[in-house]
Amino acid sequence: MSASAVIADDEPLLRAMLRTRLARLWPELEVRHEMADGRDVERVIDEHAPDLFFLDIHMPGVNGLEAARTIGSRAHIVFVTAFDQHAVEAFERGAVDYVLKPFNDERLAVTVERLKERLERPPISIDSLVEQLAGRLGSRPADRLRWVKASVGSSVRLIPVEEILFFQSDEKYTRVVTSDSEALIRKPIRELLEELDPDKFWQVHRATIVNVDHIASVKRGLKDQAEIALRDHRETLVVSRAFTHLFKQM
Amino acid sequence: MKSYAHLLEGLTVQRVLWVTVICMVATGMVVGFFINTYLDLLLSALCVGYTSMVLFTVAGNVRQGGLPREAIQIMAVVAGSVLGVIVAGLIKGRDISSMLNERLVGVAISMGLGIGFGCVVVAGAILRAKHARDQARIAKAEAERNQLEKNILEARLQLMQAQVEPHFLFNTLANVQHLVETDAASASRMLDSLINYLRAALPQMREGATSLGREVDMARAFLDIHRVRMGSRLEYLIDVPDSLKARAFPPMMLISLVENAIKHGVDPCCECGTITIRAADNEGRLTVSVADTGEGVRPTSGGGGLGLTNIRERLKALYGPRGSLVLEENTPRGVVASIEVPA
Repeated sequence: MSASAVIADDEPLLRAMLRTRLARLWPELEVRHEMADGRDVERVIDEHAPDLFFLDIHMPGVNGLEAARTIGSRAHIVFVTAFDQHAVEAFERGAVDYVLKPFNDERLAVTVERLKERLERPPISIDSLVEQLAGRLGSRPADRLRWVKASVGSSVRLIPVEEILFFQSDEKYTRVVTSDSEALIRKPIRELLEELDPDKFWQVHRATIVNVDHIASVKRGLKDQAEIALRDHRETLVVSRAFTHLFKQM
Repeated sequence: MKSYAHLLEGLTVQRVLWVTVICMVATGMVVGFFINTYLDLLLSALCVGYTSMVLFTVAGNVRQGGLPREAIQIMAVVAGSVLGVIVAGLIKGRDISSMLNERLVGVAISMGLGIGFGCVVVAGAILRAKHARDQARIAKAEAERNQLEKNILEARLQLMQAQVEPHFLFNTLANVQHLVETDAASASRMLDSLINYLRAALPQMREGATSLGREVDMARAFLDIHRVRMGSRLEYLIDVPDSLKARAFPPMMLISLVENAIKHGVDPCCECGTITIRAADNEGRLTVSVADTGEGVRPTSGGGGLGLTNIRERLKALYGPRGSLVLEENTPRGVVASIEVPA
C-alpha cells in the first residue's frame, strides 16, 4: 500500500535511521520531508500533503505534542519517543500509534501493519489525548516571569525567581534581594506583580512583594500592621494594614 | 482597655499561687526576728509580693527601648517593694507620715526584705526564661540541621536519578544502533564516549566528592555524545589547566550546567552553538564556568531553575556562604554559569 510521510526528530541520525528502517519494512512508503522540530508544520502540510507524520515528542522549539495539535485531523500521527512511561501508558490506552527508540524491527513491523489499516480511514482527532499528555509532561504556562536580569557591576546577573526573597521599591529602582546578594532593577513593583506567579509572590505593602516560600514567620506588629521574618535574611518586612488579611488564620 | 490587656500577659493563676507560697515561706523564715505576729507580717509580705508581681509582669510585656528587659524587671521589683510596704501600711490603718518618721526603720527593713526576696525570685525567673530561650534556640538549630540533612539526602537522591536519565541513555543507544549499520567507526567512537561517561558517572552514586579532572572528563564524554547526536550544531572548548585537575569538586554539578547549556542554550536556537568550560584558581578559590552562545534566557523561559536550585542547595550544604553559583549574560549572546568553591 503506498502512502506518504514526514519525519520530525531533532537528531539527524535518528531521522536517518527511521527512514532506513521504514524503507526496509514498508518500501511503498514515500518519505517526502524531514524536519528537525515542529515549526513550519503548516507549510509542510501545504507543500507535501503527507498521509502520516512521525513526530518525536521531545524536540526543541516546537515539540511533538504542539505539532500534533497544529496538525489536528489533517494527517495520521505516530509519536516517536525514547522513554516516557507516562506517554507510553497514554498511547496504549488511547490507541495511538507510537514507536520507541532505539527501534526494534519486530515492534516497528507491528506499527506499520496497524498504520496500513488505519490509512483506510480518515485520521481521527487526538486532541484530548494530546492535552492529557501535555499535562503529564509538565508543560506550564509560559508567560510567568521566571528570571530577573539585573546589572551587577559590568555584568548582567540572571536571577531565577525562586531565589528571590523579596522585591522592594526604592524611589526610582526596585531592590531585588536574595539570601546572598542584592541588585537593583528598573521594573516597578506594579509591573512585577502582573508578571510574577501570584501563588508564590504576594504584595504585602505598597512597596513590597514577598516570595512566600521564604517566609519564616509573621508576627502581629504595631497599629494593625504585621511583620514578616524571612529565612536566611536579617531584614524584616512590614505588612501594611491593607494586606494583613492575607495572613489571617494561618 | 483592650490594647493594654497584653501588658498583663503571663499573669497566670500559677504565678499568683507561686508568689503566695513564696511570701508565706519568706514570712516564716523571718518571723523570729520581728515582734509582729506571723499574720501581720504575712499581710505586709503579700502586699509587697503582689505589687511587685504586677509591676514585674507589666515590665516584662512593655515594648521598651534602650534598657534590657531584665533591668526593667529588677526596677519593677524595687518599686513594687516600696509601693507594697506603703499599701500594707495603709491597709493596717497606719499613718503615712508616722511611717516615714518614727517607724522608718521598720518600714525600711520591710522594704529591704521585699527587695531582697524579690530579687532572688526574679533572678530565678530570669534564669528560667533564659534557659527556655536557650532550649528553643537549640531546638531551632536542631530543626535547621535536620532540614539541611534532609536537603542533602534529597539532593543526593535526585543526583542518582539524574545520572541514569533513561531518555539520554536510550536516545544515545538509538544513535549507536544507526551508526553500527552505516558508519562502524563512528559507532565505536560513540560507544567509547558513552562508556567513558558511564564509568565516570556511575561510581559517584557512592561518593561525596570527586576531582575536577574527573568531572571534566565526564563532561567531555557527555559533550562528545551530544555532538554526534546534534549533528554539526554543537561545538565545545575545554580550557582547564592540568594543575587544577586534582582539586576537589562536588560531583555532578558541572555536568548539570553543561546539560542546561545544551538544553536551554544551544538546542532551542537551532543553529550552531559553542559551549566553553573554563576553570581558574582565584586566590585559592576554585571557579569553574560553563558558557554557551545559545539563545540566552528569556524572562519567562522555564526550566533549569530546579537543577540550579539543586546545585545552590548542595553548595550551601557543603560550603555555607563560601560556595556560590552565579548566572550571567554572555557577550554577545548566551549565558555563563559559574560555580565557586573554597580551597
